[in-house]
Amino acid sequence: MALDFSIILRFQDALLLGLWMTLKLTLICVILGCTFGFLVGLARTSRSLALRAISSVYVEFFRGTPVLIQLFWIFFCLPMILGIELSNLASGVIALTLYMGAITSETFRASLKSVGPEQLDACIALGLPRRNQVTNVILPQAVLRAIPTLLSNCVSLFKESALVSAVGMADLMFVGQNISNNTARPVEVLTIVALIYFVIAFPLTRAVSLIERRILAKLAI
Amino acid sequence: MTAPITPPLVRMQSLHKSYGPAIQVLKGLDIEMQPGERLVVIGPSGGGKSTLLRVMMGLEKIDRGSIMFGGKPYISSDGLDKKTKIDTEVRRSIGMVFQHYTLFPHLNVVENLILAPCKVRKERKSDATERAVGLLTRFGLAGKAKAYPSQLSGGQKQRVAIARALMLDPKLMLFDEVTSALDPELVAEVEQVILQLAAQKMPMMIVTHDMWFAKNIASRVIFCAGGVVVEDGPPEQVLGSPKEERTRDFIDRVFHIRQ
Amino acid sequence: MNYSFDFQSISFAPLWEGLMVTLELTAAANIIGIVGGFLLALLIMSPIAVIRLPAMLFVEFFRCTPAIVQIVWFFYCVPMLFNVFLGSMTMGILALGFNLMAFNAEAYRASIQAVPREQIDAGIALGLNPLQRILYIVLPTAFRASIPVLLTNGIGIFQQSALVAIVAVQDLMYQGKTLATETYRPIETFTVVALIYFAVSFPVTQVVGYFERRRHLLMS
Repeated sequence: MALDFSIILRFQDALLLGLWMTLKLTLICVILGCTFGFLVGLARTSRSLALRAISSVYVEFFRGTPVLIQLFWIFFCLPMILGIELSNLASGVIALTLYMGAITSETFRASLKSVGPEQLDACIALGLPRRNQVTNVILPQAVLRAIPTLLSNCVSLFKESALVSAVGMADLMFVGQNISNNTARPVEVLTIVALIYFVIAFPLTRAVSLIERRILAKLAI
Repeated sequence: MTAPITPPLVRMQSLHKSYGPAIQVLKGLDIEMQPGERLVVIGPSGGGKSTLLRVMMGLEKIDRGSIMFGGKPYISSDGLDKKTKIDTEVRRSIGMVFQHYTLFPHLNVVENLILAPCKVRKERKSDATERAVGLLTRFGLAGKAKAYPSQLSGGQKQRVAIARALMLDPKLMLFDEVTSALDPELVAEVEQVILQLAAQKMPMMIVTHDMWFAKNIASRVIFCAGGVVVEDGPPEQVLGSPKEERTRDFIDRVFHIRQ
Repeated sequence: MNYSFDFQSISFAPLWEGLMVTLELTAAANIIGIVGGFLLALLIMSPIAVIRLPAMLFVEFFRCTPAIVQIVWFFYCVPMLFNVFLGSMTMGILALGFNLMAFNAEAYRASIQAVPREQIDAGIALGLNPLQRILYIVLPTAFRASIPVLLTNGIGIFQQSALVAIVAVQDLMYQGKTLATETYRPIETFTVVALIYFAVSFPVTQVVGYFERRRHLLMS
């Protein structure tokens, strides 16, 4: 068969709009999800059993089920249960924020745990008050250590965001599928869509390993 | 021997400490330390030396016993409710240096030094920085003020750690095997700094495996084994001609001499 | 909230059928992923650029694009490009299998390269030849180290397999969607479907956690 990639140019604007939706959705959920994930990460290491239990159930459930079903649940069931209308964007943001919160909370939890007990010994020997032990010693190290994994969590979110096309949100994937159906040119259109995702995600994954090496070099005592 | 006029700097009374029922690390330790003394604690691994320092710093709880510091009650546990009472105000006058440096890796050298003075004593940042630079210069680290711990050699890290502890003007310094993790050629620079402090009459308690260093720095040596003090005396006695059989065995094995 | 739940109207027979399809997809994709991933790992570590670069491109492409794009691409484009027409089940298995291959190849590569240099030095000092060093030292250590990641990736593909519902493979997700529409009971249906996925995933993640903790104990 003859491939004709020039057909893409006719749909440039639509694809850009779709890409914009994908990026917007990703960015909003990165910010909300990381914040939420940080709080959940703290809750999972807290002394309160109730906090630990609730946060663990949330994280395990969201990590243990397909994102697609989470999305369906929030798009179709949440409005029924709450008895309110939710816009597509709002539903998408809720679903992906909850997903991002679950995976980043694990990142934060692991990095909190990675700050060794000898750092606490040093804090006590210096007479630092509890509050300063946390804000000046433990948290800065934990957040530094979390950065590379957080960045790859962002890449995951960016990829998972393509799922919103399945519930009718006009993101890059949705637009691409529509064009491909209307033009009967799936090979050209879907390949370009895949390439767009790749061109954004690939440099980010490279950055992850670069930053990882930098941070490890700095934090290695 | 005349009775001291001032109260002892440290008075430990029947310290007991165990990890679970099976492992007893301290079995009723009684140690008194006078101001200006430099106490070196030697002994086999697992004999309770490091635990002793960690208890003194308030890093480990005790099961029973008490510690007075400068005539004031510091740590106590009556053995009934298993609660260790500790006076954190008193604790602030003790400084400690660890085997593995424990510098804060995300802070540079000066930031490591001024963190506690600024947060604990609410000292002004500029004042603390000035003192920090002064200390670093004294320890031959003036050029490293802005370096991060990962950019320093082990010997430099350990000297920074000592400077960090000194920033709070401690009345007693604890050194827990501070040269054990160092390459042999870096040991001397750290020991020099500690000898320098000794010359200024800084009271200190030192746990070390380095017998040469022990001989040079100690004003008194304690041989600790099995959670009790086996022998206690001037360095010439404990290291040179120990009275106790167990001390002699240990010293012989460490030095590999005397056929 | 004034919604009354009715779990009675959910018939479990189609969900059970769907789960069997999902498990079949998962198992087949894992076989491809574990075997193919290993071969792919050898290719991406090859010193010959002509072998290494295409293999790396394959891996990076699967790792850096959404799985849903891969699956839709596979279903629409493979028949057109290569003129082959396979059953939807086979297509689903291949799409998921290739995806898993890429992720597993990375896991193998990482654990092979994590074998400490001293281990290999010790092999040289003991007079083992290069092949023996790989067979008796590198691979056993590396394979054991990669097991937790392989399991995690494997259960990941179990969850990702829900995507084939979009291209009409009748898996658990697909049956759930159909049932939700037929019964007008999306809340009950999707909740039950989610719970089924969870009931399979959760024990596996716990096993992985156990493996990793034990490994840490053994290594320390």
